[in-house]
Amino acid sequence: MSVAAERPAASISTGERVRGWLRNPWGRPRFLVLVTWTYVVWSIVPVLIAVQFSFNATRSRTVWQGFSGRWYWGDPVDSVWHDPTLRHAALQSLKLGGADVLVATPIGVLLAIGLARWRGWGSRPANFLMLFPLVTPEIVMGVSLLLVFTHVFTFIHTGTIAQILGHVTFSISYVVVIVRGRLFSIGRQYEEAAADLGASPTVALTRVLLPLLTPAIVASAAVVFAISLDDFVISQWLSSGGGTDTVPIVIYGATRAAPLPSTNAIATIMMVLTLLSLALAFLAWRAFTREERRASVATEFGGFTV
Amino acid sequence: MGTENGNRGQIELIELRKEFAEVVAVDGIDLDVPGGEFFSLLGPSGCGKTTTLRLIAGFEQPTSGRILLDGGDVAYTPPHKRNVNTVFQNYALFPHLNVFDNVAFGLRRAKRPKAEIAERVGRALELVQLSGYERRKSSQLSGGQQQRVALARALVLNPAVLLLDEPLGALDAKLRKALQIELKALQQEVGITFLYVTHDQEEALTMSDRIAVMSEGHVEQVGTPETVYEEPATVFVADFLGTSNLMDVTVDGADGDGCRVRLGDVVLRAASGATDARGEAKIVIRPEHVELESYGAPGENRVPGMVERTVYLGSADQLVVHLATGDTIQALVRHGRSTLYEQGTPVAAHLPADAIRVLAR
Repeated sequence: MSVAAERPAASISTGERVRGWLRNPWGRPRFLVLVTWTYVVWSIVPVLIAVQFSFNATRSRTVWQGFSGRWYWGDPVDSVWHDPTLRHAALQSLKLGGADVLVATPIGVLLAIGLARWRGWGSRPANFLMLFPLVTPEIVMGVSLLLVFTHVFTFIHTGTIAQILGHVTFSISYVVVIVRGRLFSIGRQYEEAAADLGASPTVALTRVLLPLLTPAIVASAAVVFAISLDDFVISQWLSSGGGTDTVPIVIYGATRAAPLPSTNAIATIMMVLTLLSLALAFLAWRAFTREERRASVATEFGGFTV
Repeated sequence: MGTENGNRGQIELIELRKEFAEVVAVDGIDLDVPGGEFFSLLGPSGCGKTTTLRLIAGFEQPTSGRILLDGGDVAYTPPHKRNVNTVFQNYALFPHLNVFDNVAFGLRRAKRPKAEIAERVGRALELVQLSGYERRKSSQLSGGQQQRVALARALVLNPAVLLLDEPLGALDAKLRKALQIELKALQQEVGITFLYVTHDQEEALTMSDRIAVMSEGHVEQVGTPETVYEEPATVFVADFLGTSNLMDVTVDGADGDGCRVRLGDVVLRAASGATDARGEAKIVIRPEHVELESYGAPGENRVPGMVERTVYLGSADQLVVHLATGDTIQALVRHGRSTLYEQGTPVAAHLPADAIRVLAR
C-alpha cells in the first residue's frame, strides 16, 4: 500500500493546495524566494536594457537595430574613446576613485584601530559620530563642504583637490565600519600574544594586526573605489566645471540634452569597473580568510558571512 | 632549557590590586612562588585568577601593589619587555603564519641569527612532539596539537616563568587527562616556574606543587594539593574543592585532643581544624570519611539518619543521608556495600573525630 493512496487527495481544494505549497514548512520558503526573485528581476532588467543599447548599431536608445561596438570605440566622433568629454570624464572618475582609495583607506584603517582599542571617556560618542557621514544626506555634505572651501579653507579651490577631499570625507566611514567589524571579530588576543612574545606595539601592528586585517583593508578599498565612481552629488558640488566633471555628471548632463548610446556605453564601463572591484574584494577576502574558515571561524564580509 | 635554572623565575606579589570601572577584580593579594614551582591559581570564574595572570604577563596595569620577578619590580614594565611568556586559553596562534613561523616569532623579535632560530625552533617542536609539522598552518592542526604549538612558542624563548591560562579548557576530557600528565612532565623537564590558572580542581590537584585557592579577588588558602584538600582553611575552600558536608555547629569546649561541638541535639567530638574556636562555627567532613553503620550502632560520633537517595558514580556510590539533626550529608560507599543501604533504610552515620574539621567563622 503506497503512502499516496492513504492521503485523502480528493478532499483538498485547489486553493488549499496552493496555500499548502506556499506554506509547506518542510520545503523552501517559497513565498520569500518569490519575493526575492521578483526584486532581482525588477532591479536588473533596466540595467540590462541600458547595457544592451550601448551596443546598438544606430543612434537610437529605444529601438534595437543590431549589435555594434561603435559607441565604445568605432564612431570617430561620438564614441567613448573619441569623444573628449566622455574620455575626460572617465579619467576624472578613475582619478578621484584612485586618490580616494589611496587617502581614505589608510586613514580609515588607523581610525578603526584607534576607535576599536580606545576605551574610556569620549570613545562612545566618537564611535557613534563615525556613522554620521553614512546617514547624513549627501546633498547636505556637498553644500557644507562647498561652504567650507569657499569661506573657511579658501586656499582649497573647487576642482579635483576639493572633490578628492569630499570623497575622502564620506569614504572614511565605510573603511572604519568594515575594518572595525573585523577588529572586533579577531579580538585582542593576537596583539597580546605578539606583545607577550616580545613585539613592541609597532611591530605587533605591522607583523600581526595588519596581516590579519588585510581582507578587511582590501574589501574596504574596493568599496571606497566603487562608491567614489558612483558618486554624483559631492562630485557635482565641488566640481569646477569642464575638466573636473565626472562620468555621472556627464551622463546626467547628456540625458538632459540629446543622449546617444555612448552615454549607455560609458555607464556600462563604469558599472563593470564597480562590479570588478567588488568581485576582486570578495575574492581577496575569501582567499585571505580561507585558513580561518577551515578552522570554522565565521568571517564577515561587510556584514555577510562568507 | 634544563634544570640548571632551578632558582630562576621567582614571583612575588605584594598587595596586588586591580580595579576595573565598577569591580575590584584583584583585591590586594600576596603570593610568593619560588623558582621552578608548578603553582596553580584555582577558583571559580570571576575570582580574579585570570586578572592576576594578566597582571603578571603585563596585559593589565595594577591599580596598586608590586609584582617582583626574581626580585625586580616589573609591575610597570610593558609586556614585550618581561621575561615571562603566556599560553593562552584559546592558544592565539597567528593564523597567517605556519607552525615554524609561529614558534620562531619571539626569536625573530629578539633578532637571533637564522641558524640559531632554526635550531631552537626544532628543539622546541621536538620537546612537544611536533617535529615534522613545521609547514602546517594552525588551522590544519587538532586542538591538542595547537595547544602544543602554543607551548613550544612560549617555551622556545626560555622564559623565567610560563603563564598558562586554562590551556586545557578547550579540549575534551580524555585528551585533557593525557595532557595534564604531559604538562607536568614537561615542567619537570624544563624546570621553570609554571603559573597555571584553572577553575578545574582536579587539574590543579593533579599537577600542582602548590595551589592558591581564590575567591572574589582574595586568596583563600595557599598550600600543597594535600593541604588544601584535606585541611581546608575556610568554608569556601572546603566547599569549592571536592564534595564537602558543611554543617553549622556550636563549639562548647575542649574535649581530649579536640573540642566538643553541638550539632542540633547531638554532641560530637572534632579533632581537626580550629578546635580552639568557641561559639558558632562550621564543621566539614568529606563524603569518603563518612562511615555508614547499621542503625543504633554504639560509640562516639554516631548520628542516626535515613538513606534518602543513592546515586551511581561509576567507581562508587554516593548516598545522600538525611540526619536526625535535620542536616543532609553525603557518603561515598564502595560498590556492593551500597545494596545494604536502599532508599529509606535507617542507618547510623559515623563521623570519625579525626575527619571532622572545625572552621571558624
